[in-house]
Amino acid sequence: MKHIKKIFILLGSLDRRIIFLIVGLSVLIPLLKPDWVSLPIRPTPESQRVFDEINKLKQGDRVLLSFEYSPSTKPEIHPMAIALLKHMYAKNIKVYGFALWPDGNFMSTEAFSEVSDDYEKVYGLDYVNLGYKPGSEAVVKGIASDIRTLYTIDLHGTPINDIPMMENVINIKDFDFVFSLSAGFPGSKEWVQYATDPEQIPISTGCTSIQVTDILPYVENEQIRGILAGMPGAAEYESLVETELKKMNISAKPGTASGMMAAQSIAHVVIVLFIIFGNITYFITQKKKGKDKI
Amino acid sequence: MIAAELFSAWLVAFLILCIFSFLYGDNPFYKAAEHLYVGVSAGYVAVISFWQQVQPNLFGRLWPSRIDVDDGSIFQSIWYTIYEIFNFISTGFGVLDRSIFPEGGIKGYDEIRMIYLIPFILGIFMLLRLVPKLSWMARWAIAYIVGMAAGLRFYGFLNSDILIQIKASTIDFSSDWWTIINSLILFIGTLTGLIYFFYSTEHKGVIGRLSRIGIYFLMIKFGASFGFAVMGRISLLIGQLNYLKDYSAAEYNYATPIILLFIIICLAIWSFMGKGGKNIESTA
Repeated sequence: MKHIKKIFILLGSLDRRIIFLIVGLSVLIPLLKPDWVSLPIRPTPESQRVFDEINKLKQGDRVLLSFEYSPSTKPEIHPMAIALLKHMYAKNIKVYGFALWPDGNFMSTEAFSEVSDDYEKVYGLDYVNLGYKPGSEAVVKGIASDIRTLYTIDLHGTPINDIPMMENVINIKDFDFVFSLSAGFPGSKEWVQYATDPEQIPISTGCTSIQVTDILPYVENEQIRGILAGMPGAAEYESLVETELKKMNISAKPGTASGMMAAQSIAHVVIVLFIIFGNITYFITQKKKGKDKI
Repeated sequence: MIAAELFSAWLVAFLILCIFSFLYGDNPFYKAAEHLYVGVSAGYVAVISFWQQVQPNLFGRLWPSRIDVDDGSIFQSIWYTIYEIFNFISTGFGVLDRSIFPEGGIKGYDEIRMIYLIPFILGIFMLLRLVPKLSWMARWAIAYIVGMAAGLRFYGFLNSDILIQIKASTIDFSSDWWTIINSLILFIGTLTGLIYFFYSTEHKGVIGRLSRIGIYFLMIKFGASFGFAVMGRISLLIGQLNYLKDYSAAEYNYATPIILLFIIICLAIWSFMGKGGKNIESTA
Protein backbone atom coordinates (compact mmCIF):
# COMPACT_ATOMS: atom_id res chain seq x y z
CA MET A 1 0.00 0.00 0.00
CA LYS A 2 2.87 2.34 0.88
CA HIS A 3 4.45 1.71 -2.52
CA ILE A 4 1.19 2.57 -4.30
CA LYS A 5 0.93 5.78 -2.28
CA LYS A 6 4.51 6.64 -3.19
CA ILE A 7 3.74 6.08 -6.89
CA PHE A 8 0.74 8.40 -6.69
CA ILE A 9 2.73 11.08 -4.86
CA LEU A 10 5.42 10.76 -7.56
CA LEU A 11 2.79 11.07 -10.29
CA GLY A 12 1.36 14.14 -8.58
CA SER A 13 4.73 15.84 -8.48
CA LEU A 14 5.49 15.19 -12.17
CA ASP A 15 6.98 18.17 -14.00
CA ARG A 16 4.30 19.80 -16.17
CA ARG A 17 6.58 19.44 -19.21
CA ILE A 18 6.55 15.64 -18.85
CA ILE A 19 2.72 15.75 -18.78
CA PHE A 20 2.77 17.93 -21.94
CA LEU A 21 5.07 15.38 -23.57
CA ILE A 22 2.82 12.43 -22.64
CA VAL A 23 -0.31 14.23 -23.92
CA GLY A 24 1.60 15.23 -27.08
CA LEU A 25 2.66 11.63 -27.70
CA SER A 26 -0.86 10.35 -27.05
CA VAL A 27 -1.99 12.62 -29.89
CA LEU A 28 0.97 12.13 -32.18
CA ILE A 29 1.20 8.33 -32.15
CA PRO A 30 -2.39 7.73 -33.44
CA LEU A 31 -1.76 10.38 -36.12
CA LEU A 32 1.45 8.72 -37.27
CA LYS A 33 0.07 5.18 -36.99
CA PRO A 34 -3.69 5.41 -37.72
CA ASP A 35 -3.91 1.61 -38.23
CA TRP A 36 -2.99 0.94 -34.61
CA VAL A 37 -6.23 2.42 -33.25
CA SER A 38 -9.55 2.17 -35.03
CA LEU A 39 -12.62 3.41 -33.20
CA PRO A 40 -16.19 3.43 -34.56
CA ILE A 41 -17.99 6.75 -35.12
CA ARG A 42 -21.64 6.76 -34.01
CA PRO A 43 -23.67 9.90 -34.75
CA THR A 44 -25.31 11.60 -31.76
CA PRO A 45 -29.00 12.64 -32.09
CA GLU A 46 -27.86 16.29 -32.45
CA SER A 47 -25.56 15.52 -35.40
CA GLN A 48 -28.22 13.29 -36.94
CA ARG A 49 -30.71 16.17 -36.62
CA VAL A 50 -28.37 18.51 -38.52
CA PHE A 51 -27.96 15.92 -41.26
CA ASP A 52 -31.73 15.36 -41.49
CA GLU A 53 -32.42 19.09 -41.69
CA ILE A 54 -29.97 19.56 -44.58
CA ASN A 55 -31.07 16.33 -46.22
CA LYS A 56 -34.70 17.38 -46.41
CA LEU A 57 -33.87 20.57 -48.32
CA LYS A 58 -34.90 20.45 -51.96
CA GLN A 59 -32.95 21.09 -55.17
CA GLY A 60 -32.54 24.85 -55.75
CA ASP A 61 -33.18 25.78 -52.10
CA ARG A 62 -31.04 28.61 -50.78
CA VAL A 63 -28.76 28.11 -47.79
CA LEU A 64 -26.92 30.93 -46.04
CA LEU A 65 -23.59 29.52 -44.88
CA SER A 66 -21.83 31.79 -42.42
CA PHE A 67 -18.09 31.42 -41.74
CA GLU A 68 -17.33 32.60 -38.22
CA TYR A 69 -14.02 30.93 -37.51
CA SER A 70 -10.36 31.50 -38.11
CA PRO A 71 -7.23 29.38 -38.68
CA SER A 72 -6.90 28.88 -34.91
CA THR A 73 -10.15 26.87 -34.80
CA LYS A 74 -9.82 25.40 -38.30
CA PRO A 75 -9.17 21.78 -37.18
CA GLU A 76 -12.59 21.68 -35.49
CA ILE A 77 -14.79 23.64 -37.87
CA HIS A 78 -13.28 23.33 -41.33
CA PRO A 79 -14.08 19.60 -41.74
CA MET A 80 -17.72 20.51 -41.02
CA ALA A 81 -17.65 23.17 -43.77
CA ILE A 82 -16.23 20.68 -46.27
CA ALA A 83 -18.74 17.94 -45.38
CA LEU A 84 -21.62 20.43 -45.50
CA LEU A 85 -20.61 21.72 -48.93
CA LYS A 86 -20.33 18.15 -50.25
CA HIS A 87 -23.79 17.36 -48.89
CA MET A 88 -25.39 20.54 -50.24
CA TYR A 89 -23.68 20.36 -53.64
CA ALA A 90 -24.75 16.72 -54.04
CA LYS A 91 -28.34 17.85 -53.46
CA ASN A 92 -27.94 20.85 -55.83
CA ILE A 93 -28.65 23.37 -53.11
CA LYS A 94 -27.55 26.97 -53.74
CA VAL A 95 -24.96 28.13 -51.21
CA TYR A 96 -24.49 31.77 -50.15
CA GLY A 97 -21.26 32.28 -48.20
CA PHE A 98 -21.00 35.08 -45.64
CA ALA A 99 -18.33 35.83 -43.03
CA LEU A 100 -18.75 37.56 -39.69
CA TRP A 101 -15.04 37.17 -38.90
CA PRO A 102 -12.28 38.75 -41.02
CA ASP A 103 -10.42 35.43 -41.24
CA GLY A 104 -13.68 33.83 -42.35
CA ASN A 105 -12.78 35.07 -45.84
CA PHE A 106 -9.77 32.73 -45.97
CA MET A 107 -11.79 29.85 -44.59
CA SER A 108 -14.71 30.30 -47.00
CA THR A 109 -12.42 30.74 -50.01
CA GLU A 110 -10.49 27.59 -49.08
CA ALA A 111 -13.65 25.55 -48.44
CA PHE A 112 -15.37 26.60 -51.69
CA SER A 113 -12.25 26.03 -53.82
CA GLU A 114 -11.66 22.62 -52.20
CA VAL A 115 -15.11 21.23 -53.02
CA SER A 116 -16.77 23.24 -55.82
CA ASP A 117 -14.73 21.90 -58.75
CA ASP A 118 -15.28 18.25 -57.75
CA TYR A 119 -19.03 18.81 -58.00
CA GLU A 120 -18.74 21.01 -61.14
CA LYS A 121 -20.36 23.97 -59.41
CA VAL A 122 -20.19 27.37 -61.05
CA TYR A 123 -19.53 30.57 -59.14
CA GLY A 124 -22.47 32.94 -59.31
CA LEU A 125 -24.89 30.21 -60.36
CA ASP A 126 -24.45 27.52 -57.70
CA TYR A 127 -22.52 29.32 -55.01
CA VAL A 128 -21.44 32.80 -54.11
CA ASN A 129 -18.99 34.15 -51.56
CA LEU A 130 -20.04 37.56 -50.24
CA GLY A 131 -17.26 37.78 -47.68
CA TYR A 132 -16.72 39.69 -44.47
CA LYS A 133 -18.22 42.96 -43.28
CA PRO A 134 -17.22 44.53 -39.96
CA GLY A 135 -20.00 45.27 -37.50
CA SER A 136 -20.66 41.96 -35.70
CA GLU A 137 -24.36 41.72 -34.75
CA ALA A 138 -25.15 44.83 -36.83
CA VAL A 139 -24.14 42.83 -39.92
CA VAL A 140 -26.52 40.00 -38.93
CA LYS A 141 -29.28 42.56 -38.43
CA GLY A 142 -28.40 44.11 -41.80
CA ILE A 143 -28.61 40.74 -43.58
CA ALA A 144 -31.94 40.15 -41.83
CA SER A 145 -33.41 43.42 -43.13
CA ASP A 146 -31.66 44.21 -46.45
CA ILE A 147 -28.48 42.56 -47.70
CA ARG A 148 -27.79 45.35 -50.17
CA THR A 149 -27.41 47.97 -47.44
CA LEU A 150 -24.21 46.15 -46.49
CA TYR A 151 -23.14 44.20 -49.53
CA THR A 152 -22.68 45.99 -52.82
CA ILE A 153 -19.88 43.72 -54.02
CA ASP A 154 -18.90 40.11 -53.38
CA LEU A 155 -15.52 38.96 -52.06
CA HIS A 156 -13.98 39.26 -55.55
CA GLY A 157 -15.29 42.79 -56.08
CA THR A 158 -18.13 41.85 -58.46
CA PRO A 159 -21.25 44.02 -57.94
CA ILE A 160 -23.83 41.70 -56.38
CA ASN A 161 -26.50 42.93 -58.79
CA ASP A 162 -24.42 41.34 -61.59
CA ILE A 163 -24.44 37.91 -59.87
CA PRO A 164 -27.29 35.75 -61.27
CA MET A 165 -28.03 33.85 -58.04
CA MET A 166 -28.40 37.14 -56.11
CA GLU A 167 -31.51 37.96 -58.13
CA ASN A 168 -34.59 38.15 -55.86
CA VAL A 169 -32.42 37.74 -52.77
CA ILE A 170 -33.29 40.73 -50.60
CA ASN A 171 -32.92 39.60 -47.01
CA ILE A 172 -32.88 36.59 -44.67
CA LYS A 173 -36.49 35.72 -45.57
CA ASP A 174 -35.29 34.70 -49.03
CA PHE A 175 -33.22 31.86 -47.59
CA ASP A 176 -34.59 28.42 -46.79
CA PHE A 177 -31.98 27.60 -44.19
CA VAL A 178 -29.13 29.21 -42.26
CA PHE A 179 -26.03 27.34 -41.19
CA SER A 180 -23.58 28.98 -38.82
CA LEU A 181 -20.01 27.65 -38.60
CA SER A 182 -19.16 29.35 -35.38
CA ALA A 183 -16.11 29.69 -33.15
CA GLY A 184 -17.28 32.52 -30.89
CA PHE A 185 -18.57 36.07 -31.09
CA PRO A 186 -20.18 37.02 -33.42
CA GLY A 187 -21.59 33.62 -34.28
CA SER A 188 -24.52 31.26 -33.84
CA LYS A 189 -26.00 33.18 -30.90
CA GLU A 190 -26.16 36.40 -32.92
CA TRP A 191 -27.81 34.63 -35.86
CA VAL A 192 -30.47 33.30 -33.48
CA GLN A 193 -31.00 36.60 -31.68
CA TYR A 194 -31.09 38.99 -34.63
CA ALA A 195 -32.12 36.95 -37.64
CA THR A 196 -33.56 33.46 -37.33
CA ASP A 197 -35.69 33.90 -34.19
CA PRO A 198 -37.35 37.17 -35.31
CA GLU A 199 -37.84 35.99 -38.92
CA GLN A 200 -38.58 32.32 -38.10
CA ILE A 201 -35.91 30.89 -40.41
CA PRO A 202 -34.54 27.40 -39.57
CA ILE A 203 -30.92 27.36 -38.44
CA SER A 204 -28.36 24.71 -37.52
CA THR A 205 -24.88 25.18 -36.22
CA GLY A 206 -21.45 23.63 -36.20
CA CYS A 207 -19.39 25.09 -33.40
CA THR A 208 -16.23 24.66 -31.39
CA SER A 209 -16.36 22.34 -28.38
CA ILE A 210 -15.90 25.23 -25.97
CA GLN A 211 -19.12 26.86 -27.19
CA VAL A 212 -21.32 23.79 -26.92
CA THR A 213 -22.68 24.37 -23.40
CA ASP A 214 -23.63 27.95 -24.35
CA ILE A 215 -25.43 26.88 -27.52
CA LEU A 216 -27.22 23.78 -26.16
CA PRO A 217 -30.09 25.74 -24.51
CA TYR A 218 -31.02 27.04 -27.98
CA VAL A 219 -30.84 23.49 -29.38
CA GLU A 220 -33.03 22.09 -26.57
CA ASN A 221 -35.50 24.87 -27.32
CA GLU A 222 -35.66 24.20 -31.05
CA GLN A 223 -34.28 27.70 -31.71
CA ILE A 224 -31.36 25.85 -33.34
CA ARG A 225 -32.04 22.58 -35.14
CA GLY A 226 -29.22 20.27 -34.11
CA ILE A 227 -25.58 20.99 -33.40
CA LEU A 228 -22.26 19.65 -34.64
CA ALA A 229 -20.16 19.77 -31.50
CA GLY A 230 -16.47 20.24 -32.21
CA MET A 231 -14.31 17.68 -33.96
CA PRO A 232 -16.47 14.67 -32.92
CA GLY A 233 -19.50 16.46 -34.43
CA ALA A 234 -17.54 17.02 -37.64
CA ALA A 235 -16.50 13.34 -37.78
CA GLU A 236 -20.09 12.20 -37.19
CA TYR A 237 -21.40 14.47 -39.95
CA GLU A 238 -18.64 13.33 -42.30
CA SER A 239 -19.64 9.68 -41.77
CA LEU A 240 -23.33 10.50 -42.37
CA VAL A 241 -22.52 12.43 -45.57
CA GLU A 242 -20.21 9.69 -46.86
CA THR A 243 -23.00 7.11 -46.41
CA GLU A 244 -25.46 9.42 -48.17
CA LEU A 245 -23.07 10.10 -51.07
CA LYS A 246 -22.52 6.36 -51.51
CA LYS A 247 -26.30 5.93 -51.73
CA MET A 248 -26.33 8.64 -54.44
CA ASN A 249 -23.42 6.90 -56.27
CA ILE A 250 -21.19 9.93 -55.82
CA SER A 251 -17.54 9.26 -55.04
CA ALA A 252 -15.96 11.67 -52.58
CA LYS A 253 -12.65 12.08 -50.80
CA PRO A 254 -12.84 10.99 -47.15
CA GLY A 255 -13.10 13.78 -44.58
CA THR A 256 -10.24 14.76 -42.29
CA ALA A 257 -12.07 14.83 -38.92
CA SER A 258 -12.80 11.09 -38.88
CA GLY A 259 -9.08 10.32 -39.18
CA MET A 260 -8.28 12.49 -36.17
CA MET A 261 -10.87 10.99 -33.82
CA ALA A 262 -8.59 8.17 -32.61
CA ALA A 263 -6.03 10.74 -31.47
CA GLN A 264 -8.79 12.72 -29.76
CA SER A 265 -10.17 9.70 -27.91
CA ILE A 266 -6.76 8.49 -26.68
CA ALA A 267 -5.79 12.01 -25.56
CA HIS A 268 -9.06 12.21 -23.59
CA VAL A 269 -8.32 8.90 -21.84
CA VAL A 270 -4.82 10.13 -20.92
CA ILE A 271 -6.18 13.45 -19.58
CA VAL A 272 -8.92 11.70 -17.57
CA LEU A 273 -6.27 9.36 -16.07
CA PHE A 274 -4.13 12.35 -15.11
CA ILE A 275 -7.16 14.05 -13.49
CA ILE A 276 -7.89 10.86 -11.48
CA PHE A 277 -4.23 10.47 -10.46
CA GLY A 278 -4.02 14.16 -9.57
CA ASN A 279 -7.08 13.90 -7.32
CA ILE A 280 -5.86 10.73 -5.59
CA THR A 281 -2.46 12.39 -4.99
CA TYR A 282 -4.22 15.47 -3.64
CA PHE A 283 -6.25 13.44 -1.14
CA ILE A 284 -3.20 11.39 -0.06
CA THR A 285 -1.07 14.51 0.52
CA GLN A 286 -3.91 16.30 2.34
CA LYS A 287 -4.38 13.29 4.62
CA LYS A 288 -0.63 13.15 5.25
CA LYS A 289 -0.56 16.88 6.07
CA GLY A 290 -3.44 16.38 8.53
CA LYS A 291 -1.59 13.53 10.27
CA ASP A 292 1.64 15.57 10.45
CA LYS A 293 -0.24 18.44 12.13
CA ILE A 294 -1.63 16.12 14.83
CA MET B 1 6.78 21.48 -55.66
CA ILE B 2 6.40 25.22 -56.25
CA ALA B 3 8.92 27.34 -54.31
CA ALA B 4 6.16 29.48 -52.78
CA GLU B 5 4.35 26.40 -51.47
CA LEU B 6 7.57 25.03 -50.01
CA PHE B 7 8.36 28.37 -48.38
CA SER B 8 4.87 28.65 -46.86
CA ALA B 9 5.16 25.07 -45.49
CA TRP B 10 8.48 25.92 -43.79
CA LEU B 11 7.04 29.18 -42.46
CA VAL B 12 3.92 27.43 -41.07
CA ALA B 13 6.03 24.69 -39.44
CA PHE B 14 8.40 27.29 -37.97
CA LEU B 15 5.59 29.43 -36.52
CA ILE B 16 3.72 26.43 -35.05
CA LEU B 17 6.90 25.19 -33.37
CA CYS B 18 7.69 28.73 -32.14
CA ILE B 19 4.31 28.84 -30.38
CA PHE B 20 4.74 25.30 -29.03
CA SER B 21 8.13 26.32 -27.61
CA PHE B 22 6.17 28.13 -24.87
CA LEU B 23 5.63 24.68 -23.33
CA TYR B 24 9.33 24.82 -22.42
CA GLY B 25 9.02 28.38 -21.15
CA ASP B 26 8.73 31.98 -22.31
CA ASN B 27 11.42 32.50 -24.96
CA PRO B 28 12.35 34.72 -27.94
CA PHE B 29 10.86 32.28 -30.53
CA TYR B 30 7.47 32.38 -28.81
CA LYS B 31 7.57 36.15 -28.38
CA ALA B 32 8.50 36.73 -32.03
CA ALA B 33 5.66 34.49 -33.27
CA GLU B 34 3.19 36.08 -30.86
CA HIS B 35 4.07 39.63 -31.91
CA LEU B 36 3.96 38.67 -35.58
CA TYR B 37 0.49 37.14 -35.08
CA VAL B 38 -0.89 40.24 -33.35
CA GLY B 39 0.66 42.61 -35.91
CA VAL B 40 -0.46 40.67 -38.97
CA SER B 41 -4.00 40.20 -37.55
CA ALA B 42 -4.36 43.92 -36.79
CA GLY B 43 -3.04 44.89 -40.22
CA TYR B 44 -5.28 42.41 -42.01
CA VAL B 45 -8.42 43.51 -40.14
CA ALA B 46 -7.65 47.18 -40.86
CA VAL B 47 -7.13 46.58 -44.59
CA ILE B 48 -10.10 44.28 -45.08
CA SER B 49 -12.42 46.56 -43.07
CA PHE B 50 -11.42 49.48 -45.25
CA TRP B 51 -11.81 47.70 -48.61
CA GLN B 52 -14.92 45.71 -47.70
CA GLN B 53 -16.79 48.35 -45.76
CA VAL B 54 -15.43 51.92 -45.77
CA GLN B 55 -14.59 52.17 -49.47
CA PRO B 56 -17.65 50.52 -51.08
CA ASN B 57 -20.30 51.23 -48.43
CA LEU B 58 -19.32 54.68 -47.12
CA PHE B 59 -17.43 56.41 -49.93
CA GLY B 60 -19.54 54.46 -52.46
CA ARG B 61 -22.73 55.95 -51.03
CA LEU B 62 -21.34 59.47 -50.73
CA TRP B 63 -19.78 59.51 -54.19
CA PRO B 64 -21.51 56.92 -56.39
CA SER B 65 -20.58 56.60 -60.06
CA ARG B 66 -21.32 60.05 -61.54
CA ILE B 67 -22.84 58.59 -64.72
CA ASP B 68 -25.66 57.09 -62.61
CA VAL B 69 -26.45 60.26 -60.62
CA ASP B 70 -25.44 63.21 -62.81
CA ASP B 71 -28.07 65.98 -62.86
CA GLY B 72 -25.68 68.75 -63.98
CA SER B 73 -26.20 70.82 -60.83
CA ILE B 74 -23.54 73.08 -59.31
CA PHE B 75 -23.88 71.21 -56.01
CA GLN B 76 -22.80 67.98 -57.71
CA SER B 77 -19.82 69.66 -59.36
CA ILE B 78 -18.67 70.99 -55.96
CA TRP B 79 -19.38 67.62 -54.32
CA TYR B 80 -17.27 65.70 -56.87
CA THR B 81 -14.52 68.35 -56.62
CA ILE B 82 -14.25 67.40 -52.93
CA TYR B 83 -14.03 63.77 -54.13
CA GLU B 84 -11.13 64.71 -56.39
CA ILE B 85 -9.40 66.52 -53.51
CA PHE B 86 -9.68 63.34 -51.41
CA ASN B 87 -8.29 61.38 -54.33
CA PHE B 88 -5.39 63.84 -54.68
CA ILE B 89 -4.52 63.39 -50.99
CA SER B 90 -4.97 59.59 -51.02
CA THR B 91 -2.66 59.19 -54.02
CA GLY B 92 0.15 60.99 -52.17
CA PHE B 93 -0.59 64.28 -53.95
CA GLY B 94 -0.83 62.66 -57.34
CA VAL B 95 2.25 60.43 -57.05
CA LEU B 96 0.41 57.08 -56.87
CA ASP B 97 -2.28 55.58 -59.12
CA ARG B 98 -5.96 56.03 -58.24
CA SER B 99 -7.29 53.18 -56.09
CA ILE B 100 -9.55 54.33 -53.25
CA PHE B 101 -11.38 56.95 -55.31
CA PRO B 102 -11.76 55.67 -58.90
CA GLU B 103 -12.33 58.00 -61.85
CA GLY B 104 -15.90 59.36 -61.95
CA GLY B 105 -17.07 57.88 -58.62
CA ILE B 106 -17.50 54.47 -57.03
CA LYS B 107 -19.79 51.90 -58.68
CA GLY B 108 -22.57 50.24 -56.70
CA TYR B 109 -25.18 52.86 -55.80
CA ASP B 110 -27.40 55.05 -57.96
CA GLU B 111 -27.94 58.05 -55.68
CA ILE B 112 -25.89 60.29 -53.40
CA ARG B 113 -26.86 59.56 -49.78
CA MET B 114 -25.85 62.59 -47.72
CA ILE B 115 -27.04 60.93 -44.49
CA TYR B 116 -23.82 58.90 -44.63
CA LEU B 117 -21.90 62.08 -43.82
CA ILE B 118 -22.85 61.36 -40.18
CA PRO B 119 -20.94 58.03 -39.94
CA PHE B 120 -18.13 59.62 -41.99
CA ILE B 121 -17.79 62.47 -39.45
CA LEU B 122 -18.13 60.06 -36.50
CA GLY B 123 -15.40 57.90 -38.05
CA ILE B 124 -13.10 60.93 -38.28
CA PHE B 125 -13.94 61.77 -34.64
CA MET B 126 -12.86 58.26 -33.68
CA LEU B 127 -9.49 58.76 -35.37
CA LEU B 128 -9.05 62.06 -33.48
CA ARG B 129 -8.35 59.95 -30.40
CA LEU B 130 -4.81 59.91 -31.71
CA VAL B 131 -4.63 63.74 -31.33
CA PRO B 132 -4.44 64.43 -27.56
CA LYS B 133 -6.05 67.91 -27.76
CA LEU B 134 -9.03 66.68 -29.78
CA SER B 135 -9.34 63.17 -28.33
CA TRP B 136 -12.51 64.16 -26.44
CA MET B 137 -14.37 64.18 -29.78
CA ALA B 138 -13.93 60.38 -29.98
CA ARG B 139 -16.37 60.09 -27.09
CA TRP B 140 -19.25 61.09 -29.38
CA ALA B 141 -18.49 58.23 -31.74
CA ILE B 142 -18.03 55.81 -28.84
CA ALA B 143 -21.32 57.02 -27.28
CA TYR B 144 -23.10 56.31 -30.56
CA ILE B 145 -21.59 52.80 -30.81
CA VAL B 146 -22.41 51.98 -27.16
CA GLY B 147 -25.97 53.28 -27.49
CA MET B 148 -26.58 51.44 -30.74
CA ALA B 149 -25.10 48.18 -29.42
CA ALA B 150 -27.05 48.42 -26.15
CA GLY B 151 -30.34 48.95 -27.96
CA LEU B 152 -29.67 46.21 -30.47
CA ARG B 153 -28.54 43.68 -27.85
CA PHE B 154 -31.40 44.47 -25.51
CA TYR B 155 -33.87 43.47 -28.20
CA GLY B 156 -31.97 40.28 -29.12
CA PHE B 157 -31.45 39.11 -25.53
CA LEU B 158 -34.97 39.94 -24.42
CA ASN B 159 -36.53 37.85 -27.15
CA SER B 160 -34.17 34.88 -27.61
CA ASP B 161 -32.49 34.59 -24.22
CA ILE B 162 -35.20 35.67 -21.79
CA LEU B 163 -38.74 35.32 -23.16
CA ILE B 164 -38.22 32.15 -25.21
CA GLN B 165 -36.04 30.55 -22.48
CA ILE B 166 -38.65 31.30 -19.79
CA LYS B 167 -41.29 29.76 -22.01
CA ALA B 168 -39.11 26.68 -22.46
CA SER B 169 -38.58 26.22 -18.72
CA THR B 170 -42.30 25.77 -18.07
CA ILE B 171 -43.47 22.22 -17.30
CA ASP B 172 -45.96 20.58 -19.62
CA PHE B 173 -47.82 18.12 -17.35
CA SER B 174 -49.73 16.68 -20.30
CA SER B 175 -46.58 15.13 -21.81
CA ASP B 176 -44.96 11.77 -20.93
CA TRP B 177 -43.26 11.08 -17.58
CA TRP B 178 -39.73 11.28 -18.92
CA THR B 179 -40.35 14.77 -20.37
CA ILE B 180 -42.01 15.91 -17.11
CA ILE B 181 -38.99 14.71 -15.05
CA ASN B 182 -36.61 16.43 -17.48
CA SER B 183 -38.63 19.66 -17.34
CA LEU B 184 -38.72 19.49 -13.52
CA ILE B 185 -34.93 19.19 -13.33
CA LEU B 186 -34.62 22.10 -15.74
CA PHE B 187 -37.09 24.16 -13.70
CA ILE B 188 -35.37 23.45 -10.37
CA GLY B 189 -31.94 24.11 -11.92
CA THR B 190 -33.07 27.45 -13.38
CA LEU B 191 -34.80 28.60 -10.20
CA THR B 192 -32.06 27.58 -7.75
CA GLY B 193 -29.35 28.92 -10.06
CA LEU B 194 -31.10 32.28 -10.14
CA ILE B 195 -31.53 32.23 -6.33
CA TYR B 196 -27.75 31.72 -5.97
CA PHE B 197 -27.22 35.01 -7.83
CA PHE B 198 -29.86 36.85 -5.75
CA TYR B 199 -27.80 38.95 -3.36
CA SER B 200 -30.52 41.19 -1.89
CA THR B 201 -31.24 38.62 0.86
CA GLU B 202 -28.72 36.82 3.03
CA HIS B 203 -28.30 33.18 1.95
CA LYS B 204 -29.67 31.60 5.15
CA GLY B 205 -32.49 29.12 5.87
CA VAL B 206 -34.57 28.12 2.86
CA ILE B 207 -32.80 30.61 0.55
CA GLY B 208 -29.44 29.24 1.71
CA ARG B 209 -30.45 25.64 1.00
CA LEU B 210 -31.90 26.53 -2.39
CA SER B 211 -28.81 28.50 -3.38
CA ARG B 212 -26.70 25.48 -2.32
CA ILE B 213 -28.70 23.33 -4.77
CA GLY B 214 -28.08 26.10 -7.33
CA ILE B 215 -24.32 25.74 -6.75
CA TYR B 216 -24.51 22.03 -7.62
CA PHE B 217 -26.28 22.82 -10.89
CA LEU B 218 -23.70 25.50 -11.67
CA MET B 219 -20.86 23.10 -10.90
CA ILE B 220 -22.33 20.52 -13.29
CA LYS B 221 -22.47 23.24 -15.97
CA PHE B 222 -18.87 24.33 -15.29
CA GLY B 223 -17.74 20.69 -15.34
CA ALA B 224 -19.38 20.17 -18.72
CA SER B 225 -17.84 23.42 -20.00
CA PHE B 226 -14.41 22.33 -18.76
CA GLY B 227 -14.78 18.95 -20.47
CA PHE B 228 -15.73 20.59 -23.75
CA ALA B 229 -12.90 23.12 -23.37
CA VAL B 230 -10.38 20.28 -22.98
CA MET B 231 -11.90 18.54 -25.99
CA GLY B 232 -11.59 21.74 -28.04
CA ARG B 233 -7.98 22.35 -27.06
CA ILE B 234 -7.04 18.75 -27.88
CA SER B 235 -8.73 19.14 -31.29
CA LEU B 236 -6.62 22.20 -31.99
CA LEU B 237 -3.48 20.36 -30.87
CA ILE B 238 -4.37 17.49 -33.20
CA GLY B 239 -4.85 19.96 -36.07
CA GLN B 240 -1.46 21.59 -35.56
CA LEU B 241 0.34 18.26 -35.06
CA ASN B 242 -1.30 17.05 -38.26
CA TYR B 243 0.26 20.01 -40.13
CA LEU B 244 3.64 19.23 -38.57
CA LYS B 245 3.27 15.58 -39.59
CA ASP B 246 2.45 16.57 -43.19
CA TYR B 247 5.39 19.01 -43.36
CA SER B 248 7.84 16.42 -42.09
CA ALA B 249 7.56 14.56 -45.41
CA ALA B 250 10.34 14.45 -48.03
CA GLU B 251 8.30 16.60 -50.46
CA TYR B 252 8.58 19.48 -47.98
CA ASN B 253 12.32 18.83 -47.49
CA TYR B 254 11.72 17.54 -43.94
CA ALA B 255 10.67 21.00 -42.72
CA THR B 256 9.37 19.91 -39.30
CA PRO B 257 12.35 17.84 -37.99
CA ILE B 258 14.91 20.35 -39.26
CA ILE B 259 13.14 23.35 -37.71
CA LEU B 260 12.47 21.42 -34.50
CA LEU B 261 16.15 20.58 -34.20
CA PHE B 262 17.11 24.20 -34.93
CA ILE B 263 14.74 25.53 -32.24
CA ILE B 264 15.91 22.94 -29.67
CA ILE B 265 19.59 23.82 -30.29
CA CYS B 266 18.86 27.57 -30.09
CA LEU B 267 16.84 27.15 -26.87
CA ALA B 268 19.58 25.00 -25.36
CA ILE B 269 22.23 27.63 -26.16
CA TRP B 270 19.93 30.37 -24.87
CA SER B 271 19.32 28.39 -21.70
CA PHE B 272 23.02 27.62 -21.11
CA MET B 273 23.79 31.32 -21.53
CA GLY B 274 21.56 31.80 -18.48
CA LYS B 275 18.93 33.91 -20.20
CA GLY B 276 16.19 31.32 -20.05
CA GLY B 277 16.14 30.45 -16.37
CA LYS B 278 14.17 33.45 -15.14
CA ASN B 279 11.52 33.25 -17.88
CA ILE B 280 11.01 29.50 -17.44
CA GLU B 281 10.48 29.91 -13.69
CA SER B 282 7.94 32.66 -14.31
CA THR B 283 5.83 30.40 -16.54
CA ALA B 284 6.21 27.20 -14.50
